[in-house]
Formats: sequence, C-alpha cells, structure tokens
Amino acid sequence: MSSAMITTAPITIKPTTVNKTSVRWERAVPVYGVSVVNPFLLVLLSLALVALLLAAYRELVGLGPVSGMNDMFGWGIWKTFNVVVLTAWGSGAFAVGIGAWVFGRKRLHSLMRMALLTSLLAYACGLFLLGVDVGRPWNFYWILFPWKWNLHSPMAEVAICMSVYAAIPLALENLPPVLERLWHFDPRLRPGVERVERGLYKFFPWIIALAYLLPAMHQSSLGALMLLAGQRVHPLWQTPFLPLLYLGAAAFMSFGCVAATTMLCCMVWKRAMDMDVLEDAARVTTWLIFGCLSLRVLDVLFRGALGTAFHANRFAGIFWLETLLISYGGWLLLRSLRTHSTRTMYVGYALSSLGGVIYRFSPTTLAYMPSPTAKYFPSTIELLIAFGFVSMGIAGFLVIVKLFAILPAPAQDWRDMASYFKLRRPYVRWTKYFNFGFFGDTEPTDFD
Amino acid sequence: MAITRRDLIFNIAKAGVPAAVAMTGGARVLQAEETPLPSTPVGLLYDASLCIGCKACEAACNEANNTPVDTTADQLHQAPPDLNVLTRNIIKLYKPENGSPSSFVKRQCMQCFDPACAAGCPFQALHKDPESGIVKWDGGKCIGCRYCTIACPYEVPRFQWQGFNPVVTKCELCSHRLAKGLKPGCSSVCPTGAVIFGPRTVLLAEAKRRIKKNPGRYYQDRVYGETDNGGTQALYLSRVPFEKLGLPELGPESVPSRTLRWQKRVYSYFALPAMLYVGLVQVIRKNLKGHEQEAHELEKETGLRAQL
Repeated sequence: MSSAMITTAPITIKPTTVNKTSVRWERAVPVYGVSVVNPFLLVLLSLALVALLLAAYRELVGLGPVSGMNDMFGWGIWKTFNVVVLTAWGSGAFAVGIGAWVFGRKRLHSLMRMALLTSLLAYACGLFLLGVDVGRPWNFYWILFPWKWNLHSPMAEVAICMSVYAAIPLALENLPPVLERLWHFDPRLRPGVERVERGLYKFFPWIIALAYLLPAMHQSSLGALMLLAGQRVHPLWQTPFLPLLYLGAAAFMSFGCVAATTMLCCMVWKRAMDMDVLEDAARVTTWLIFGCLSLRVLDVLFRGALGTAFHANRFAGIFWLETLLISYGGWLLLRSLRTHSTRTMYVGYALSSLGGVIYRFSPTTLAYMPSPTAKYFPSTIELLIAFGFVSMGIAGFLVIVKLFAILPAPAQDWRDMASYFKLRRPYVRWTKYFNFGFFGDTEPTDFD
Repeated sequence: MAITRRDLIFNIAKAGVPAAVAMTGGARVLQAEETPLPSTPVGLLYDASLCIGCKACEAACNEANNTPVDTTADQLHQAPPDLNVLTRNIIKLYKPENGSPSSFVKRQCMQCFDPACAAGCPFQALHKDPESGIVKWDGGKCIGCRYCTIACPYEVPRFQWQGFNPVVTKCELCSHRLAKGLKPGCSSVCPTGAVIFGPRTVLLAEAKRRIKKNPGRYYQDRVYGETDNGGTQALYLSRVPFEKLGLPELGPESVPSRTLRWQKRVYSYFALPAMLYVGLVQVIRKNLKGHEQEAHELEKETGLRAQL
C-alpha cells in the first residue's frame, strides 16, 4: 500500500534522543482500519446500560436507598467526583483553547479537536448525572427565567453556566468535524455544508470567546461552592482563593487530560507523535502547575494553616499526597522537556492530574467534616452509576474518534486513509469516513 | 506571539475603560447594598436554663405541621437522633463527661437575617419573607441540589432521601398557624416558657431583661443571635457555652456576606465578565484570521481540504 502513495508535503523528521521519530501534526485524521465495535466497547456500553437502568430505579425510590448520602453528607460522588472533578479534566476546550486562540500558541491548535471532544463528553456526562443527582430536576425549567436566578449563588452560577456552556458554545465549537464529515461524505451536501461553515466561522470569535468566559466563571464557582460551608471544610483547603485555585487546577488537569489522552491514543493506534506540540503543551502545563502550587502553598502559609499539615491525621496525609503528586508530576514534565521522553511526559501528566483530582475532590468530600460522627462512603449502586456514566463518555470517545477526524496526524495519514478505503471499497460504502461513490470529485485522485 | 499578548492587554484595556468606570461608579451602591431587613421580624426566644427537656414541643411541631412522627429509633417512641425530614424541631441534651453543668437545647431553623441557605439556593426556592423574615421553601422552584444542607452553618435544612418527589424541610415558624392568629406549635405547648414566640424586638428586650435581672446566670451575659451570623430571629440564652449546644461562634458578619464577598464583587453588574468578553472577542478575531490563512496555505501545500 505504501508504494501507492505520493507525497506533496515535506515530512519533517526531527531526530530526538529517544528512539521515537517525531512528525508534524498537520491535520486531524480519523482512526481507520479498526472496527468501531469491539469487546472493550461492549463492556463499556453494558456498564453504561446498567448505570442507566439503576438511574431509572433511583428516580423511583429516591436517593437514600441507592446511595451513601445522608443528612450530614448531602453530596455524594455524583456531584463531587463526576461533576466537580471530571469537568476539571474536561476543561481542555477552555484551557488549551485559551493557549491556542488567545495566547497564540499556534501549535496547540492541533490538539484542539481532542480538547473540544473530551470537554463535550465530560460535560455532557457530568450534566446528565447531575440531572440524576438532583432531587427535583423538573424544576430546572426556571433556568429560562433569568429574573428568578439567584445571581449571588455559586450553585446557580454552576448550574446555569455549565448547561449553557455545554449546550451552546461548546456544542457549536464541536461542529466543524461534523460538517467536515458531511462535506466528505456526499458532494451533494457540499454547498449546504459550506454555507453553514461560512455562517459559523463568521460568528466564531463570539462563540469561542463565550466558550472561554463561561468555563472561567463556572470552574471558579465550583470552588466558590464550598466557601459557604465555612469551618466545615478543613483549613488546609478552605480559603478565599478556592475559586482561583479550582480554576488553576482545571487548567493544568485539562492540559494533562488532552495531551495524555492524545498520547495514549497514539500509542494504542500506533500513530506518530509530534513532539513539538506535545512539548509545547508540557511547557504550558509545567507553568500552570507551578503557578497553582505556589499560590496554594503561599495561601496555606499566609493563612497560618501550615501547622495543620503536620498533624498526624488523614487531612495532613491527603494534603501531602496531593501536593507531592502534583509537584512530582510537574517535575517529571519538566524533565521530559530535556530528555524528550514521551514516557516521562506521560507519567508526569498522569501523576499531576491525579494530584489535581485529589485536590478538587477534597473540599467537598475528603476534607469536608460536618460533624465528628458524620460518615460517607458511596454505596455499590452509587459507584456503578458513577462509573457507568464515565464509561458512557469513554465509549462515546472511542466511537467518535473512529467516525470523525479528531486525532491529529501528519497530512500523509489522510492520504494513507484514502488509499486504505479505496482498497476496501466494497466493505466501506458508507460506514466509514468517505462515501466512495463520490470520492475523488474534488480530492486528488492519483492515489494508485 | 509578543504582538498578540500586547494586543490582548490593549484590547482589554480599551474595552475595559467604560466598563471599569461603570463598575467603580457602582461600587458605592454595592457597598450600601445589604440584605434588606424584614419589616416586622418575628422569632423565638429559647432559654435553655428553663427547658426541662419534656419534648412536648417536638410532638406539637409534628402535629402543627401535619407530619408523621419519626419512630425509627425503636419503632415506639418519637426519638429521632437529629433533625430530619420528619423533624423540624428537636430537643437535645448536652451532658459533659466531667460533671460540669448540662443543658438541653432546642434546635430548629434560626431564621437568619442573611440566610446562607437562601444565598446559595440557585432559583430562590428558599427565600426570606420580606415582612415576617421567615425563611420559606418553595417546592415549585427547588431543584433538589441540597446546597442548602451544605451551606447552612447550623445544618438545619433537611432533604427527603426517600421517594421520587423529595422535599426539603425546615422550621418555617408555623407560618400557616401565624396566618390564623395562632402561635407556632412549639411555643404554644411549652410548659415552662422556655421557648416563647413574638416580634424579635420584644424577644430581644425580654432576653436582655433576663440577663440584667440575673447577671452571671447566662453564658457571657449574651443573647446568641443578636448579632451572631449577622443576626438571627431565633434567639438563645444558655448557661453553657453556645458552641456546646451546636451554635457555632460565627462572628457578627453573616456567612454569605463574609464568604461570597468576592463572588458578589466580580459579578456585580456583570461588568467584569462583559469587559473580559469584549477583550477576548477582539483577540480571537485577529487570531482567527491568521489561523484561517495558515489553514488555507496548508491546504495549498498538501492538497487536502483545510481544517479549522
């Protein structure tokens, strides 16, 4: 197959100290040549199905019988993990987007589609589960009446901002891959698609700017949520800077999520990595991590809470675990910039994100102490629903990267894909990226 | 890149000048803006030193609110361990190990002047009545997020964990009885007058009279709720420290005004977000042009349709 290809673009091969050959990511290319349905996907889907059935059961019997929540711990992992933590991972569209669009780090654009997709899925699953978690979801229609909003409430901020963000700017930002697929799918659709694209790009600056303003507001408000809880949050976490720290954690965690997921995908599907982009992302992440860490440490220091970090209790343990994970992860990222080792970089992302998860999880759950006797541990059903919704997101990701152009690759991969499909024309008439009845009308046709 | 960053600053500054002026102009209004006080606040005065712990008020509360009795403890007695969805009012006993004085305490909603539950409630389901100052729950606006149970410093609002149509319950001072000219259930049955109902000003005067009459009898010669948490409409007198009775020392500033100060300032008149938005649009517009151009150049170079 490879002999059948022509190369119009020069492919940059930059030698590195590791045995990886770095390429230049030029465009997003679908994952082709692997089946969409596989045993792993089926496992994920069945987990999601179980979660949906259990969620239906929860709607009937109420929260008590299915969860470990109680009068003292009114919030369980559905809110504190699936919403508060996972949307931090899903802030890639916000953090990477700001890097690319506002601060003009152009190479980050190749990660944007990954960022947008992971964000959309994380937010969609989080919000859907939030709908299962709240007791009286039918009253959510009040969101349509702005004069009934309680503008000073961080909860209103989170509920309104998140839904609006996911439903409007984030969804619109995710349109280009869909339109592009339609464009390639059938030439008869092209004029229509191009018209929609022109309209979309005309309003793109307004849409994108909204997609940065809203997450900045609700990701910080997620931190502001626990301000009202006052002394019931351990002093190592309770600070007026919670909103800013939550925003910072979301920024470095989502960079980690986008870059590490992209790296993982490249490893799984044997795609080439662009070390320039990855190192640029790692550089930004290290800055974000050390910015956040220093704000966190200075805040603890100046509030005089540092003493409590040396008590022999679980709070001190959690604090040190979180701080060490984040700083060690950050240090590994920094080292990967020198050694150009993807492995170090991946581990760095994983550890720092894990630390970020613990940080975002602490004020609401691990370091929340309403009374000495209060206890909360998620029940089995609660865990099944929480993980079921996560599986739903992962399943959605695995399907979408195979049907749409999301993952970045060299332009040559696109040509390889075209040749691949051309060879298998009878089997891929419409299920894959091109409809070959029409392929070749405007594409370069000299593949073979 | 350097140009873009400078543009960012310039553009934000350009867009920000009028907005910033508007905001600083509004700042004085903002500072003057405080939670409006109810016109005729009513409340309860509970004197822990008079309470004999008969729990008549608990039974009366359930009766007045037409709520079934919580007998989950032994299937026989009304002995709930704490406030819950069936228990808006509870008598608890503080009994220290070392033999120092013990005390009963009646717990119910404090009807704060600046209630944290209402400050956190997203669609104003929990709201303070502008006249009586009673904090009421509106089932038609509550989404069941349970933020009130997290926000209340007294841990009063309770969520119903069973059933498909859960409610949030808390003491609403029997406002349906007040409308009929009756007193709240608890105060109407108290045999010793440990809990009395009335306008807050009258209750406060009565509490101060009791302190003056018996100096040294009450903890710190102080009425809990006069200024605590910005003032509450349920007032407490006690011989033992208030903290031991589950009434935390929160200072004279209310929890919402203390903790949400920045939240309020940042979002006041939406000036700062609007300013940021305009600045962002300017920068992104410029970068979009450059990005589109690059995409088209790449299209020419590779012969593949441009992706944005």
